[in-house]
Amino acid sequence: MSDYLLIQALNGLVIGVIYAVIACGLTVIFSILKIVNFAHGEIYMMGGYFGYFAISLLGIPPLPAVLVAMAASFLLAVLVERTLLTPIYKPSTERKGDYGILVTFGLSIFLRNIALIIFGPYPLRPPSFWQGALVVGDLVMTWDRVFAAGAGITILVGLVLFMNRTIWGEALNAVSQSRESAAIVGINDQRFYMLAFGIGSALAGGAGALVGPIYSLSPSMGLMPDTQAFAIVILGGMGSVSGSIIAGLLIGLSESMFVAVFPDPSRSLTYAQAFSLLVLMIVLLVRPTGLFGRVHTQME
Amino acid sequence: MRNAQVVPGALLAVLVLAFPYLVNGYWLTVGVLALFYAIVAASWALLAGQTGQFSFGHMAFVSLGAYTSGLLVMDLGVPIPLGWAAGVVLCAVVGAGIGYIGLRMRGPYLALFTVAFSEVLRIIFVSENEVTGGSGGLEVTPLFHTRSDAPYYYLGLMLLAIALGLMVWLTRSRWGLFFRAIRENEEAAAAAGVKVVRFRVLAFAIASSFAGLAGGFYGHYIGILTPDIGSVDQMGLVVAMAVIGGAESLFAATVGALLCEALVEALRSYGEWRLVLFGALLLLTIRFARNGLLALGFAGVKRLTIARAPANVAP
Amino acid sequence: MTAPVLIEARGLTKRFGGIVAVNGLDLAVRQGELVGLIGPNGSGKTTTINMLTGHLAPAAGHILVHDAPADGLSASQFAVRKVGRTFQITQLFSRMTVLENMLVPGLARPHSTWAEATATARRHLDFLKLSHLEDLQARNLSGGQQKLLELGRALMLDPEILFLDEPFAGVNPFLRDEIIVLIQTLHGQGRSFVVVDHDIEAIQRLVKRLVVMARGAKIADGTVDEVRQDQEVLRAYAGV
Repeated sequence: MSDYLLIQALNGLVIGVIYAVIACGLTVIFSILKIVNFAHGEIYMMGGYFGYFAISLLGIPPLPAVLVAMAASFLLAVLVERTLLTPIYKPSTERKGDYGILVTFGLSIFLRNIALIIFGPYPLRPPSFWQGALVVGDLVMTWDRVFAAGAGITILVGLVLFMNRTIWGEALNAVSQSRESAAIVGINDQRFYMLAFGIGSALAGGAGALVGPIYSLSPSMGLMPDTQAFAIVILGGMGSVSGSIIAGLLIGLSESMFVAVFPDPSRSLTYAQAFSLLVLMIVLLVRPTGLFGRVHTQME
Repeated sequence: MRNAQVVPGALLAVLVLAFPYLVNGYWLTVGVLALFYAIVAASWALLAGQTGQFSFGHMAFVSLGAYTSGLLVMDLGVPIPLGWAAGVVLCAVVGAGIGYIGLRMRGPYLALFTVAFSEVLRIIFVSENEVTGGSGGLEVTPLFHTRSDAPYYYLGLMLLAIALGLMVWLTRSRWGLFFRAIRENEEAAAAAGVKVVRFRVLAFAIASSFAGLAGGFYGHYIGILTPDIGSVDQMGLVVAMAVIGGAESLFAATVGALLCEALVEALRSYGEWRLVLFGALLLLTIRFARNGLLALGFAGVKRLTIARAPANVAP
Repeated sequence: MTAPVLIEARGLTKRFGGIVAVNGLDLAVRQGELVGLIGPNGSGKTTTINMLTGHLAPAAGHILVHDAPADGLSASQFAVRKVGRTFQITQLFSRMTVLENMLVPGLARPHSTWAEATATARRHLDFLKLSHLEDLQARNLSGGQQKLLELGRALMLDPEILFLDEPFAGVNPFLRDEIIVLIQTLHGQGRSFVVVDHDIEAIQRLVKRLVVMARGAKIADGTVDEVRQDQEVLRAYAGV
């Protein structure tokens, strides 16, 4: 029996890594653009499809296809940012918070329906990264999951290094803490918003591509991550990348264990979806600054 | 000048009242649904446009009202008007609760919280399928047993008139002033003596009860209820209707809903593309015409009429 | 025959994270007073006002209004108790008209009618020379007009005491003199004031009693002359 729990826990950690990647993407976007991005899950979904078509149309092998998916998501994000999000930086825009809510909510609807038309409603499964499964003693895990976790961890490490060791990353940190101060020292706002939105979305898109072979792709697969990513971001302390990583792993693990121990198997999966939603609602109520909260939670 | 307004107004009223006899059964159904969406969109606009509280949980109240009434009628044999009323009351209470909880949350967080709440409710309705019928659907006794949808149309029209009447009266009263003050600047409103807590919660309760009212109407019209009515996509549709029309004017939101529903049906042959069109229209409206397309239209008409007016009108 | 105490702070304390913004403040304002509250930036003046008008909850200490406990009251409850205030950065109802801005507090008062509130609003607008702007949206007013409107909005509460947070900030000399005259007139009509500002010259012209705060504590409380000679005050402003 405990093997089952261990496998569930490991699967939970794998999906936790994926959640962490998505959440870190959202954290970057949130801490720099200061908007609640309701369309983050839809970028994740598009990333999955980008990866799928990179493989099927362009013949790119599965693992590099993830990078293609990330690049394509980055470009999509830049397009979205330039066309829809520029009013957020203009002082003449009133009630920026409301604008951000409406425009990203509208975007999520738009992307979901466009995906429905272009890709069809039926789930698509991209080819595996590597066939078969890893067997260690009594524990079995598909190579897809192993790869997803490994690639996810690599992406996260890359992100942390980028944010802390490169000039661009430090600049992003500066902008996230104070737009005005950053502008004074010559950091050009506009390009950084584009960069931040692009990086955040690339992370989401990459996560989507990694998850494709495991769970298949569908146009509505972004709905859950839309709100779930926020549960993680807020739990981990908005603006904190390390917080998002820890919270992502926590949520992934908890969800998995929830399914494992929930007494009613026919309901466990559907209620597992509600798990992170409830976490979100509770965190919003009780401790909006999360576990590792940073102070700059002001939104326009 | 007034004569020019009376004739088109009377013509419109005649068209509206005679609608069931002017169109076929399909378009009559569209009309009934349009009225349903109008009530939902207008009540959402009351909350979002008048008090500045963006709730994405509005459809959850529609489904709560529908399921409450449906289950009470089907499982406990309660007469429809009573079940319906129970749904409205429940929505008022839960709405007030959500409004109260939401007090400590600023705009986008409230939106997030209400989305989560909406999804949790939907998941419960799907999971507890022994009670609710789940995704398979819950059969609900229809209100009228006529072949034509005409009685539903007139009932819907009456409900919309009452709902709009009440809500417009509200916005023109001092309460409306307080709502808008809260929307503009909560701290200043408090400093001015407005009981912010009371009015934010009240707005939520009122808007949610109208959603519940619409939900009960929908359930007993459609006859088969699924949790999808509370989905995020349905919420998006309502948001689109209200915003495209103009979220800060109840009339604009209502007309927006009526026109959008008509448009959705008129473009039925385009299948899924029409939802993409709506999404695009919503994005364009938010980006370039934040007060809504109808408000833009009115402003345009106003500018045209002022351009023709004599020069003694003060600027 | 001293005048009754309108509002009193006892041991008022407020912390933000690790910083103590206000540290055990004792302050009493009597009916008929015109008090200036000054101090270097970060001395806790605005925080004090926020606590004394219900916008912030104190971490410790007590507030009394007319000798009745007012701990934990909300801003609107303070407003009902005739404690009015203006803000450092004007907080108006931007998309509502000037008249509507005035009607909100007017109609928020219990037992008010539209007719009464409108008449009172127009009276105050007349006093503030804003009548001709009645139907204009508040956001279309000039900065100075917005400050006056905010004062008018506070007046609609028929306040016994008014906390003015930096009424002279960013205001041209003509308007500054106008505001000084307005405050003096209102004071003459029986309203009490606590005025916070950095414009020492304006404050000195206006007030009889000066309270000085530094680093969250009251360091001086007396007449303008007394305070001017106070060594501690000089040190505080010199940053020593």
